[in-house]
Amino acid sequence: MSVRLRGTDSAIQIRWIPKYTTLERFLHWVHTATFIPLALTGFVLFAPFLESVAQGASGQHIRLIHRIAAVLFGGVPIIYTILQPRRMLMNLREFLSFSKYDLLWAKAAIPFYVLGRHHDMPPQPRFNTGERMTAVVMVLGTITFGITGLSMWFLKAAMPVFLFQLMVIIHDLMFIITFAMFMVHFYLAVIHPMMWQSLVSMRYGVVSESYAREHHAMWYYGEKRAKEMWEQRHAEGEH
Amino acid sequence: MATRLAMFIDTSKCMACRGCQVACKQWNDLPAYKTENRGSYENPPSLNHYTYTRIRFNEYDDPERFQWLFLKEGCMHCTDAACVDVCPTGALKHGPYGIVTYERDLCNGCGYCSQFCPFGVPHLNVPSVAAGTPDLLGVTGDEESTSALAGLTGEAKSAKCTFCQDRTTNGLKPACVKTCPAGALDWGDRDEMIAKADARVQTLKSELGYPQANVYGKDQLGGLGRIYVLKAPAEAYGLPEDPKYPVMSTVWQKFLQPVGQIAFGATIVGAITAFFVARRNVNMEEVE
Repeated sequence: MSVRLRGTDSAIQIRWIPKYTTLERFLHWVHTATFIPLALTGFVLFAPFLESVAQGASGQHIRLIHRIAAVLFGGVPIIYTILQPRRMLMNLREFLSFSKYDLLWAKAAIPFYVLGRHHDMPPQPRFNTGERMTAVVMVLGTITFGITGLSMWFLKAAMPVFLFQLMVIIHDLMFIITFAMFMVHFYLAVIHPMMWQSLVSMRYGVVSESYAREHHAMWYYGEKRAKEMWEQRHAEGEH
Repeated sequence: MATRLAMFIDTSKCMACRGCQVACKQWNDLPAYKTENRGSYENPPSLNHYTYTRIRFNEYDDPERFQWLFLKEGCMHCTDAACVDVCPTGALKHGPYGIVTYERDLCNGCGYCSQFCPFGVPHLNVPSVAAGTPDLLGVTGDEESTSALAGLTGEAKSAKCTFCQDRTTNGLKPACVKTCPAGALDWGDRDEMIAKADARVQTLKSELGYPQANVYGKDQLGGLGRIYVLKAPAEAYGLPEDPKYPVMSTVWQKFLQPVGQIAFGATIVGAITAFFVARRNVNMEEVE
């Protein structure tokens, strides 16, 4: 797919590479639109300084919103698995494959994202280390929220109190972890000046060729070629 | 805080007439409902949203004789009250005279109090087969009776004994104490109630032949608002000898809450700071 910039006859041509299916983008937005209200309504019951919001009818509505959002949130992976099982498995497999390049990424990430130093950034597959970490945490989080949330919802009276208490603690702990991850993800995807294309890709499903080359070399060139290029660049850089 | 008041409960004088249960329902305007005969005089089968106090019937076969032990159940008004700590709305509070007060309007029905109370006292107004609470949806006369969808929506209110907070904070005795015909109940300064209980235990031990008699409630959970005179060990009454403040409440309140709030704030501040640093350092001409 290529786009001709309007108003210019020649010059810039951008090649766009498809990254996400329509369903993936739609479900990702549903995920976003439910995670945020879930975090906010959950936080009301969690933080004592929001006591006045949690009281009486207002608190009752907040608990109801939390439940409705939770059902939609939990429905996302289920619908995805039913409609695009192969894509789901492919992504899951990619999320779970880590290598030594992820350690290099971790080292280079702060200079790269904070100071804009590109040189030490190792090649990354279709999802970079941070994205894969976020994805893994979100998958684990969804499973944990599902188990603990449904237990607290439906088994309040049936389960031993200690188990219920444990569910509350695990639910809250997972909230802290996923929320921290979400903030990093949100920052890099929406706010960070360098990452403007991530929002474009979540809207249109594509990234530009140059972006893919820069940020996802293993995906663009193939793993072998990307690694060779990295070794070469590194060898040159050290001399 | 002003004087701490407490309820004195002498189980050796209780005859299980359950006048206290009736007086409680009358004063607190709680509806009655049908129960099944379970082969016991004990009724209803457990404390619930409409029953703040109840006489529990315990059969105790000690080496010397068979005893029928009657325990007046209800909120213990603990000094270290987990329900107050976990309540996210402030509906449950430490009120005057050491009473754990309850403000129904503020309650949002989350049910944490019912799950963190070491004595299992607060109950929501939703039917619960497992907790032995009968189906109360048919109860009439309760304006706030929950809808049939309550199990899904979570619509609920909690309830528990408040030592008749509207009476006791105005210098009256709780309704149950006022009505008790056996003289098993009393209400007053906590130290006086403890002294009275100690004296009664002495009498039970030395004169009436109850060597296992003891006082319950003096030190448990920082001191309870109920001072019991027991004829037998606490376990025989179904009371925990040494009730524990739930560990999970401590983990939640003292660790997770501060950590979560700091994390919530820190990530937001961090993202904003990182944005300005990145905007200053990143050369946008190189950005693909």
